Amino acid sequence: MVTISNAHDGLIHDAVLDYYGKRLATCSSDKTIKIFQVEGDNYKLIDTLRGHEGPVWQVSWAHPKFGVILASCSYDGKVLIWKEEGDTWSNIAEHSVHQASVNSISWAPSEYGALLLCTSSDGKCSVVEFQADGSQKTIVWQAHAIGVNAGTWAPPQKENISERRIVTGGCDNLVKIWRFDAVQNTYVEEEALAGHTDWVRDVAWSPSLLSKYYIASASQDRTVIIWTKEVGEKKGAWKKQLLRHDKFPDVCWRASWSMSGNVLAISGGDNKVTLWKENLGGEWEEAGEVDQ
Amino acid sequence: MVKLCEINQTAAFAWSHDALPLIAAGTLAGVMDDTFSSDSFLKIYDPFEKADDKRLLFQTSADAKFHSLAWSKPTDTYSRGLLAAGLENNDIQLYDVGKLLKDNSTASTKLSKHSSPVLQVKFNPLQQHILASSGTKGEIFVWDTNKGSSFTPGRAMSPVGKVSSLSWNNSVSHIFASAGDTGYASIWDLKAKREVLQLTYSGVNLSVVDWHPSQSTRLVTASGSDLDPVILTWDLRNSSTPEKVLKGHRKAILSLDWCHQDPNLLLSSGKDDATMLWNPVEGKKLAEYPSLPNWVHQTTFAPRLPDVFASASLDKKIVVQTLQDTSPPVSSKVGGSNEDDFWNQISSTDTQQPVFQEQQAPAWLSRPVSATFGFGGKIAVVQTVDDKSTVKVVTIPGLETIDSSAKALAD
Repeated sequence: MVTISNAHDGLIHDAVLDYYGKRLATCSSDKTIKIFQVEGDNYKLIDTLRGHEGPVWQVSWAHPKFGVILASCSYDGKVLIWKEEGDTWSNIAEHSVHQASVNSISWAPSEYGALLLCTSSDGKCSVVEFQADGSQKTIVWQAHAIGVNAGTWAPPQKENISERRIVTGGCDNLVKIWRFDAVQNTYVEEEALAGHTDWVRDVAWSPSLLSKYYIASASQDRTVIIWTKEVGEKKGAWKKQLLRHDKFPDVCWRASWSMSGNVLAISGGDNKVTLWKENLGGEWEEAGEVDQ
Repeated sequence: MVKLCEINQTAAFAWSHDALPLIAAGTLAGVMDDTFSSDSFLKIYDPFEKADDKRLLFQTSADAKFHSLAWSKPTDTYSRGLLAAGLENNDIQLYDVGKLLKDNSTASTKLSKHSSPVLQVKFNPLQQHILASSGTKGEIFVWDTNKGSSFTPGRAMSPVGKVSSLSWNNSVSHIFASAGDTGYASIWDLKAKREVLQLTYSGVNLSVVDWHPSQSTRLVTASGSDLDPVILTWDLRNSSTPEKVLKGHRKAILSLDWCHQDPNLLLSSGKDDATMLWNPVEGKKLAEYPSLPNWVHQTTFAPRLPDVFASASLDKKIVVQTLQDTSPPVSSKVGGSNEDDFWNQISSTDTQQPVFQEQQAPAWLSRPVSATFGFGGKIAVVQTVDDKSTVKVVTIPGLETIDSSAKALAD
């Protein structure tokens, strides 16, 4: 286990491992991003990335086939793209279409290209495509009445790679599913799922390719809802199920699926990270807690 | 985003407690509009509706013009909350919002006890059926809206004049504060049945008062005098001097709202036509929003969506806008290459933008915890204790092998 204390001069909002589990990126209210090398129980600070003018809320590693690339988003309304070449990190691109805090970023499945989903307090989402020649193509759309807190991509459909979906969660308490419409060249609302009674803080679409889609939504209302739908069914409705019947002790800030998609980690405002698994009867059971 | 909508009415207003809140607005008393009309209306708007002609959801005429409006949280009896109106004709009107919106009914209950116009109405934040009301001549009543009964808060320390500002303590339900034209702010204890404290500050007229969102001994007052337009923060444990003096308004301050989700944010507005955002804890001005064409008599956060607030001006305007604005400055938006382009563009661009002294991220965006999976059953965890965050990388036993096969597939 690696433990890093006092890494930043402010609250840390996100920490993400790269594809190989060798690099850890952290970001903070101190406006900086730090890159650590982690190996066994040891860690080493590689670089501190400065460029944002506000707290940095999230970081996200691009698929390695695009290079060693990290995206970051901030209260300053900007998304910055960073690249490591040799041992040096530099800012290679900026995406600033939002008029308020950018709260989450998520790289699309690499099959789609270098596409980054950004969600903002201005109620909009944007998908920016970084093309090989250095140019950017951007799609922006109004997603929630206000405040989009999180968004992630559906796993790619092996048979139908052009069918792209996104899930978002907002301050209107809704979880929304969006489908890319190639004709209109934008994302159209497929579903608005109501169930939470307060802000949706995070949404996570399970990366596993099973017969069902799984989405976890974590909320300020101290609940987590698992939304499921049969993959084949076009018209089928999303089913909702509370992850746990009573409320969590505190705000549910974050939901994250393991890479194989069968374990869900929920981070609560009480600093507890609980792990959850679906049993054979389709019920969700707590499968332990990440040690303090 | 920034400006969400404008409501063209000179009005007292109140936000609902919905996730996407509505605004109730009642024709403001004490001002004449350009038609010299004495008609009074209560209107309910959906400020998030994009189409101008669909924004008005409900409208009814009222017996008199409005000095103030308060909207309770939803209760078992009132699923959309209860709306209380302090009227110029000495009455309080209570409206069941659910019935207004559903049946378009205009039924209301009248509470008549004041002998002068009802200047302020406020619901108790801890007991939604309790309402405080105030008027001129020092009249203050506390109502049980379920029963329609009322009582007075008890003995005053000295004669009270016009009471134009009321605020309930947010954590102790039997304490409230009042202020008006007497110069001082009063703290009342309904259990002791009397005024228990008075706050004064070197001759400044403390005419607006609002409590800290969670700490029961802290409150903020503002001066309604053009000579010394300051905002003062107080801790009652040392009530002889204010903790912070916030200077920035150029004329009398008419309204204060301390954000319930983040005590480091306070809104104020006044006779200098300005709306300002402060950090009252550190005593810093954070931002000044575009000024309106007349006195801004009220500014209020949307209670469950504090990214949004509304400011009402005597110039037939309620502006609903967002706290933050990261859009580029006007000069870069209209930087056309030739002169004609410039004038074409500037005429169609909103050139008014807030001026930020300091960008301070609100507390509700500041996530203190996080856990995200990586490959190989590893998870990166952020935990925060006493404002210090620690990062850990932990391997979840049993996940390693499943994950490596998943990774082989993904590669």
